[in-house]
Amino acid sequence: MLRIEKTTENHSEILSLFGEVDASNSVILDEAIQELVDGGSKSILIDGKNLEYISSAGLGVFMSYLEDFQENGISMKICDLVPRVFEVFKILGLDQLIPIYKDRAAAFAD
Amino acid sequence: MIKLPSIHIGKLSLLLAILVWLALLFVDLVRLFGMINEIDSGISDEITWILEIVFFFTLYGFYSYSIEKNIQSDFLNLLWRAASTGIFASGVALLIELFYMSLGDSTLASELFLKNFFYHVNFALTTIFLISSALLWKHLILYQKSKKVVKQWQAFEFAMLVAMFFVFFNKNNFDYSFFFGMVILLIISAVLSGNLKWIPYLTFKEKWKSLLFLFFILVCIGYLFRRFMAYSEAETYQVNLTDNLFLMALFGFIFIYALFSFLVTLFNLPTSSVFEQKLTEAINFQRLSQSIQPGENEEQVLDILLDSCMSASYADAAWIEINPEEQIIGTNQLRFLDEPTKHELSALIKNQKNATDWATTDKPEMLQPLTVKLTHPRYESTLLVPIVINKTAIGRMVLCKEVRDGFNKEMVNIISTFVRQACIAVENHRLLNQAIQNERYQEELKIAQRVQKALLPTKLDHPDSFGICAFSNAADEVGGDYYDTFKLDENRYVLIIGDVSGKGTSAAFHMSQMKGVFHSLIQLNLSPAQFMIKANSALSKCLGKNHFITASIFFIDIAEKKICHARAGHIPTLFYKAKDDKSEFMLFDGLGLGILRNKQYENHVHEKTFNYESGDILVLITDGIVEAKNQKGQQFGFERIRSLVEIHHKKSPLEIQNQLIESLHVFVGGDRLIDDDYSMMVVKFQDPIN
Repeated sequence: MLRIEKTTENHSEILSLFGEVDASNSVILDEAIQELVDGGSKSILIDGKNLEYISSAGLGVFMSYLEDFQENGISMKICDLVPRVFEVFKILGLDQLIPIYKDRAAAFAD
Repeated sequence: MIKLPSIHIGKLSLLLAILVWLALLFVDLVRLFGMINEIDSGISDEITWILEIVFFFTLYGFYSYSIEKNIQSDFLNLLWRAASTGIFASGVALLIELFYMSLGDSTLASELFLKNFFYHVNFALTTIFLISSALLWKHLILYQKSKKVVKQWQAFEFAMLVAMFFVFFNKNNFDYSFFFGMVILLIISAVLSGNLKWIPYLTFKEKWKSLLFLFFILVCIGYLFRRFMAYSEAETYQVNLTDNLFLMALFGFIFIYALFSFLVTLFNLPTSSVFEQKLTEAINFQRLSQSIQPGENEEQVLDILLDSCMSASYADAAWIEINPEEQIIGTNQLRFLDEPTKHELSALIKNQKNATDWATTDKPEMLQPLTVKLTHPRYESTLLVPIVINKTAIGRMVLCKEVRDGFNKEMVNIISTFVRQACIAVENHRLLNQAIQNERYQEELKIAQRVQKALLPTKLDHPDSFGICAFSNAADEVGGDYYDTFKLDENRYVLIIGDVSGKGTSAAFHMSQMKGVFHSLIQLNLSPAQFMIKANSALSKCLGKNHFITASIFFIDIAEKKICHARAGHIPTLFYKAKDDKSEFMLFDGLGLGILRNKQYENHVHEKTFNYESGDILVLITDGIVEAKNQKGQQFGFERIRSLVEIHHKKSPLEIQNQLIESLHVFVGGDRLIDDDYSMMVVKFQDPIN
């Protein structure tokens, strides 16, 4: 199950993820991000406080935007990942490509 | 061996009947001769009677055989046979009568022998007509056999048999016993004549024809009966053949049945169209209920449906509308209507409030046909019938009539039934197609599974100095995990394990690309990091936008007991060091393949070189093992793997592997399946045996 909440804070669009992202619902995440991009958002923050699990398909969604964001000057940050999920990002090496912060404040401060 | 010629019962009995008749004629003429010459011929009346009875029997035999043989359920044919026999018998009788009238008072007219001869001819022909007709009636009466009717018929036949021999008892007098017997037989005849179930099956035209035939039969009976009466009044024939209870009762029976049939047919004429209609409906229903044959399509079912409903409701015009999103091609079915009129009518229907309410209901499966009044110059009432397949209304059928309130309850009922049946036929057709399609996909997947199994190595390259085993299991038919080995030279071996993001068929395709990339690049004598860089570059061109592959590669040099390892985003490999009895997951930077599809990738791949000793163990895994969850939602995790390897480090690679798999299954819980692909490779270093 995946639930996504959209809020705006500090000129950033914030996507808060609740539950799990896997092959069956990664499309929802993809659509949510695509919507923000289409809406002209320049700063996206993914809040992973309530994200319990992410599968490789979910990671694939983040990965697929890397080049687009770099070209169009859109910043994507992730914050507040639980250790288990952070480890998944780290093992794959995504932590080197997407800035991951301890919490929202740290993300906004940077 | 004497081969008995197959006795032709028909011909034999006919021959016998003729002979008996001749004998009868001869006996009577001899008796007449004796009387005229006042010589006692010594021939008693009983001989005549016996011959008469034998004549009846042989005729009965002949006709029951010949009718049985030529039995046709065609009622008109039966009636025509009876009518033609009657006309022939009457015609002959009429000719004889005319012949005598033309003779006037000449001597020939009072010639007894000739008179007697003609009397016998008349008798024979009338008997033939009566017996054959009675047997034809039998077929009509027993058309819809029930036990009761068969019993009634048998009783009638028995009573007729008794009547045949009644002559010996009654001596041909018209007394009370004759009268009594006659009444009984007539009552039975009347009861039997109630069985007229064949009449409704005649079409309108056939009914007219049968009325004509029945009329002929009735006329013939009347005329022949009158002839018989004339004979019995004349009293010129000392042995009266015709004042016989059997014959009289037969007259009665044939007459009553013909009269009943005539009247019932006559009164059935106006309603016959209803019966025909019902019969057509039954046939239409049957056509609809036959599931769609191969080579036919849903359109044909709708075609039959429209025609059936039109004929059931006597509609003047009709069409079927199918929602454009439904994939039935060419369903613009119009009947007796042109396109502009259809649009006119559609617009009129749209204006009706109840019709729009009806069309926008959210429960199409509960939808009932709706009658709508129209203010169109030509069509005054319409019936809207929803076509509901799989609980969704795919369209509707519109029937129009030129009269107000033209659709009664019965019509609506039968039309609803037709539509339901047609919808079921279409549903079944779709389900069958789906089943066939699924079957085909299953077959394809099985082939894919076989092909993919063949992509994983069956034999793993290794020297005596390390033992190795591997295992892979896909969550679906095919999966995205990959492992392989390669022997570079006598001392250098390569191990690889990989995991494609996602699972299922798309992952399987990418896995096969990974295998191709591995076996191409491994020939180039690259370092582990170079291998990853080249693999990333190659796979960047192959992988879908949001797909990536993680991999770990190990170059083992057995001469130097050294391992060079690069990791591309893959789950860290466990390395057990025997000397310290400690193990650790080797996690260091390394980005998955296909994530960065440019030169920058080079900055994200690293190598690690380390030495090994005998007893050391490498456990390569994919994330399916680490992330396998139990019922509480806990993951199997890295720690369980580590402690299991430390506990079982003394065992062979295969034993360690089996131990891990078993523990994994126990953890996940007996019958539950692990919903991700998972693979592992276990390597244990040892001193060569020799």
